Amino acid sequence: MIGNWRIASCVLAALGTVAVGHSHASQTTPVRGLHDNSPSLVALQNATVVAQPGEQLENATIVIENGKITAVNRNNSAPAGARIVDAAGYTIYPGFIDPYSNYGVPQPGQAERYRRDRPAQYDNPRSGGNASNAAIHSQTNWVDHLSHQGDAAKAYLEQGFTTVQSARMDGIFRGRATTISLANDIPNQLVYRPRAAQFASFDKGSSEQQYPASLMGSIALIRQTLSDARWYNEAQGRTLGDGSVLEYNAALAGLQNLADQGVIFETSDEHDVLRAHQVFQEFDIPVTFVGSGYEYARIDDMRATSSRFVVPLNFPAAPDVSAEFAELDVDLGHLRHWERAPGNPAQLAAAGIDFAFTLHGLESRKDFLPNLRKAVAHGLGRDTALAALTTQAARIAGVEETSGRISAGYHADLVITRGDLFADGEIVSVWTQGREHVIQPMHPTQFAGEYELNVGGQSLNLQINTGARDRGQLSQADTRVDLAHVRRDADTLSFAAQLEEFGLAGVYRFTVRAGSREYLRGSYTDPEGRSHAIRAIRQQQEESSATAQEPAQIEYVSRLSFPNIGLGVDAPAQARNLIIKNATIWTSSDAGIIENADMIVRDGRIVRVGQGLSTPRGYTEIDATGMHVTPGIVDEHSHIAIARGVNEGTEAITSEVRIGDVVNPDDVHIYRSLAGGTTVAHLLHGSANPIGGQGQNIKLRWGQNAEGLKFTETPPTIKMALGENVKQSNWGITNNRYPQTRMGVDAIIHDFFRTAREYQQAHDDYANLNRRERNRTAPPRRDYRLEALAEILAEQRHIHAHSYVASEVVALMQTAEELGFNIHTFTHILEGYKVAPEMAAHGARASTFADWWAFKIEAFDAIPYNACAMMDQGVLTSLNSDSNDLQRRMNIEAAKSVRYCGMDEQEALKMITLYPAMQLEIADLVGSLEAGKHADFVLWNAHPLSAYAQVQQTWIEGAKYFDREQDLARRAEIESERQQLVQRVLDAGSDALRGSRANYREQQPSWHCDTDHDVWRDHALHSEHFGQHLMHSHSHSHGGHH
Amino acid sequence: MKYSLSLLSAALLAASAALPAHANNIVPGSAQERPIVLQGGTLMTVSHGQVEGDLLFEDGRITAIGAQIERPDNAQVIDITGHHVYPGLIALDTTLGILEISAVRATVDTNEVGLVTPEVSTHTAYNADSQIIPTIRYNGITHAQVVPQGNLVRGSSSLLNLDAWNHSDALTRADVAMHVTWPAVGLSRSPWERRSAEEQRRAQQEMRDALTQTFTTARAYHTAKQAGSVSREDVRWEAMLGLFDGTKALHVHADDRRQISQALEFADEQGVDVVIVGGRDAWMLADELAARDVAVVFGDAYGLPARVDEAYDTAFATPAKLAAAGVDFAIAYPGNWDTRNLAFAAGHAVAFGLDHATALYSVTLGPAKIMGVEQDLGSLEVGKSASLVVSRGDILDPLTHSVEYMFIDGRLVEMDNKQRQLWHKYQQR
Repeated sequence: MIGNWRIASCVLAALGTVAVGHSHASQTTPVRGLHDNSPSLVALQNATVVAQPGEQLENATIVIENGKITAVNRNNSAPAGARIVDAAGYTIYPGFIDPYSNYGVPQPGQAERYRRDRPAQYDNPRSGGNASNAAIHSQTNWVDHLSHQGDAAKAYLEQGFTTVQSARMDGIFRGRATTISLANDIPNQLVYRPRAAQFASFDKGSSEQQYPASLMGSIALIRQTLSDARWYNEAQGRTLGDGSVLEYNAALAGLQNLADQGVIFETSDEHDVLRAHQVFQEFDIPVTFVGSGYEYARIDDMRATSSRFVVPLNFPAAPDVSAEFAELDVDLGHLRHWERAPGNPAQLAAAGIDFAFTLHGLESRKDFLPNLRKAVAHGLGRDTALAALTTQAARIAGVEETSGRISAGYHADLVITRGDLFADGEIVSVWTQGREHVIQPMHPTQFAGEYELNVGGQSLNLQINTGARDRGQLSQADTRVDLAHVRRDADTLSFAAQLEEFGLAGVYRFTVRAGSREYLRGSYTDPEGRSHAIRAIRQQQEESSATAQEPAQIEYVSRLSFPNIGLGVDAPAQARNLIIKNATIWTSSDAGIIENADMIVRDGRIVRVGQGLSTPRGYTEIDATGMHVTPGIVDEHSHIAIARGVNEGTEAITSEVRIGDVVNPDDVHIYRSLAGGTTVAHLLHGSANPIGGQGQNIKLRWGQNAEGLKFTETPPTIKMALGENVKQSNWGITNNRYPQTRMGVDAIIHDFFRTAREYQQAHDDYANLNRRERNRTAPPRRDYRLEALAEILAEQRHIHAHSYVASEVVALMQTAEELGFNIHTFTHILEGYKVAPEMAAHGARASTFADWWAFKIEAFDAIPYNACAMMDQGVLTSLNSDSNDLQRRMNIEAAKSVRYCGMDEQEALKMITLYPAMQLEIADLVGSLEAGKHADFVLWNAHPLSAYAQVQQTWIEGAKYFDREQDLARRAEIESERQQLVQRVLDAGSDALRGSRANYREQQPSWHCDTDHDVWRDHALHSEHFGQHLMHSHSHSHGGHH
Repeated sequence: MKYSLSLLSAALLAASAALPAHANNIVPGSAQERPIVLQGGTLMTVSHGQVEGDLLFEDGRITAIGAQIERPDNAQVIDITGHHVYPGLIALDTTLGILEISAVRATVDTNEVGLVTPEVSTHTAYNADSQIIPTIRYNGITHAQVVPQGNLVRGSSSLLNLDAWNHSDALTRADVAMHVTWPAVGLSRSPWERRSAEEQRRAQQEMRDALTQTFTTARAYHTAKQAGSVSREDVRWEAMLGLFDGTKALHVHADDRRQISQALEFADEQGVDVVIVGGRDAWMLADELAARDVAVVFGDAYGLPARVDEAYDTAFATPAKLAAAGVDFAIAYPGNWDTRNLAFAAGHAVAFGLDHATALYSVTLGPAKIMGVEQDLGSLEVGKSASLVVSRGDILDPLTHSVEYMFIDGRLVEMDNKQRQLWHKYQQR
């Protein structure tokens, strides 16, 4: 073998420029010049062949003909007549496959940013039977738009990729991808699988249509579209209920058999995975997720989806902490992510999740191989890493029968490396369909090392270091001479040296090239100009440690918590059986305040409240002497823990969107509100439209995932809104959406509820058809928007109506009464004191602010006596926060009714406990401390409505979610972890700067009722009114936006 | 006792007689005509602790305090047994009277055009008839500093009393301080930020340069003026003269630790005294602020943590930390309508470690000192203005806070307001 490796490299080098094998013509293209009948039979011999993960053959031969592998010969034999390529010393892997690419397809136009002077676009221009929403491109088969793109292909080939699954990455349903070769050929020759998976995301992309502008809007659109696709199929060939003809809809046609097509869904964090999983699950459609790199943060949840993943290797650059106090701007979560992101693939593997890698999302493709190795260094097995590049990727791209392995019958798509790809190896060439692409100029000769050579009778030691600048020394014992004029090309090294020190007068010039792995051969010219042959014998070296050793286990200094931020917990709190002793218990029930009282909690429920209770065996005893205990605070109106948009304020009626789809369990306000004694928060859609979205009640179970937060026993709710926000009074955008007046608000509400009644009638009529009629008749289309309204009419869904002024409140109740539904609870209801008798007559409840007023015209008649006044008139009244700030101190808000209008203290407490629970129809479970109810309670160190009260502990269903003592103890740990990570970043020097700069989760803003913002199109510009939020929060003005 | 009844009924009569609930129909109190004795209350003097006894004021001034005071024959005696007397609360860093309804531009007089507007002075726009102001008085606030808003050199604030016909009789001290918004530092944490770190740094440097430039020019003007070489007045630099002759304070609005540090350095360079307003991160620099004798107007008593990992009670506990380090500070509740929660905010600081006396100081004598009116306001002392309030109980706790009388310079202040009127109106329904 010694003599052969040079030959191999020469042959390989030559191949780069010589096109051998088949030509660019396809079977159907007429030949105009000469027929190309070059032979295509090639045998790659003597190679180390990694045929598939875990299967490595030494000294094997790969036989290729007509672009395919025809044999892999373990006995290293080549067929007669094959052109032999000696690949001794090289490792051959299957070509890599990227299942998430936009190679070869045209890119979308840039969506124009919002301009306030331009009318908002509500409709999608219609053509070709397209969808009504401009973010739905499901009818597009991207193979129809495919072309070879040389530069783009090169970028993939350089990283070892030979095949991609490709579609335009634009919109929510993006059309069907095509799995293709990156070979340089006409598209006809490239297609491996013409119609592959449907790409999808939550991002509406280049669509300039208003809807959807929020994450929940996108999810609702997906739900409606999937439902429509199913309905479109069922309705084919049948008459519609109203006798009309089924429309042609290419987009819905394109979504038929979606489960068979496969869906590749791009996510921006691990919660997106669960959100998408849930909505597709409703239609039994499995999804493969394009990950974000955050999967490790909720790895059990990822595994529970039973989904495959495509993960980018875009590890983040460290946050910049070089300047003094720069760390003030850096979240601990970001520092943690910097440290742990490279371990994400290893975590996926350890969880048994199948995944492939993608180049997508890499800011610099040159980072791909280094990051791959980083992933390996962080514990990813090499076989798993290779599978992620080959076999797993092939499955996801739908080409596992023909790509991803080195096996007879498979495409001759290969990666040839020198050295171990997962350690320090380098890609030398990549083969597509049996043709080679040379990746880099060949540097086969490894000159670096130590040699013995004989010059003029002297035995000298030669040390050569190659690198950005080649250097070297000649030495003998302690005498050393630096080499001068060191020059190196692919296979020749030359230098000069003054050898006087060795007793050889003058400057000698040397030229050497590789003779074998053991020696260099060449010649030197002495000072007299005479040339002499020379042989430099390589000194034995230790085996390269990089290939031989498995990387040491990485030790992280960061914690991994739930959620993975500084205040996260190792695991959610566990319920305990316990007894509270010697407390002043405010029961919020008929029992009133009990002094010196005890409370027994078992299995998350209150068993007994009373005096002198004895401690059951095995129960935790909590001595609450001097403490006050109240029920956990219930907030009727909250916008915490919501991801990417609180308003789908684009259309006037968006009753289909669900806050429950976008609960964000990572929001630190959950913890902060716990620290203020709040245990239940009713998350509401904003107030940008008359009928907003469906609410979601949560318990503040810090550390749980989104599903774990949900207070599932709560009956469904919905947000409605009236007044200034709805009519866009303060929006500052071109106002062309109906309605713009309170008159129009009333009219459109009337119109939609009437329509919902007809909708329900149509569904009922269909259900009553006999079987024969039903077979002939298409089922009525399910319309999630109207369905939610029909649920209201059926009293299955309760309205929480944002409202301010007397006129609109009375009008809404009259409309409701006329159409036969009920306004369950008015929220804010600042002029409730003016119309309390009407509200009482209607049966409406009220949830108001303690003292907010004057921030806009419709709040200018608000009074801090409102709660008292409404209660006096028999309207059940609660106080709400509508604010992540106020939610931490609702006890003080309640105390204000004691201050302003002398409300009884227990009544005031009920306004933030029992009464909101009644408004949410959960008073049988929470809101008071009574036997049988959830053990949701708060320990205070003083009278709970006093300014001087401080929450000591907050419990939910017998589990302690906040403890001030523990909180105080944790602070030093958080600070220490932060400083250690800062040190690690600083210590990593410029290495830490390598990586993605835009790879940290953005903080969610503090959502307000009127935050109307297109989260997809426009982060920079927002409504004028919203701009005031920024100004106000900057100048620390309090309040004013509801 | 009979006097007190007549006083109360007079107040109620005034309220109900003037009920056309439109605009501010509350009549400012008239000048004190007779000596008044507040009898039998608990006097929270702030300067001399808690005194059980009587308080006498005449011609708008406190003339006697104590258990045994001599009462003039013609004195009105108001029996306030069991109630608490406080110096009137002083609200700093407000927009009272220059901002009525934030969503209605026509009612907003807070921000002038341009980065450098030292010439503007808030009392010139002060609407003494604001509907909001009586609701602020209702919670014990007698005086407010009204502060211009803006992004760099904002203009001057004035201290006004909250019961007046117009700004002339409201003005307690005109043009107390020049306000500077300290340029942003560090990396913006806003989810809406789209500039790169480098762009942000450059913008921040430009703002700091503009600030330095402004002060350099203003100082040159001051020097020229002293030398008699100013031939034509510049309204901007005229407004800044006081900074260099020590008659006007420099109030720098700074929250981030780095902003505060830069502001301290800047004040040193400029040789002017500085007050830090806002001071969200002031606790991080408490020792330095104390050592430099720099006062803080802490404006974030109920604040949310500024950073995700910060302790939930960072803002709540800040006053206690400032006090422990010996920083002179006031608690403010920046805003307009919501400024009425000032006393409760101070109470909240007590829940998180501040002692009650210091909390009270931080909304009375503390702000009076920062406004330079401590010889007149901020405590119950003989010789000071009779600007005081009587509360049923502890004024810092909403459970007991109930202001029953307010006097400003001895004038009895009507405690009614639009909100109470609306309440009473609909009680008639």
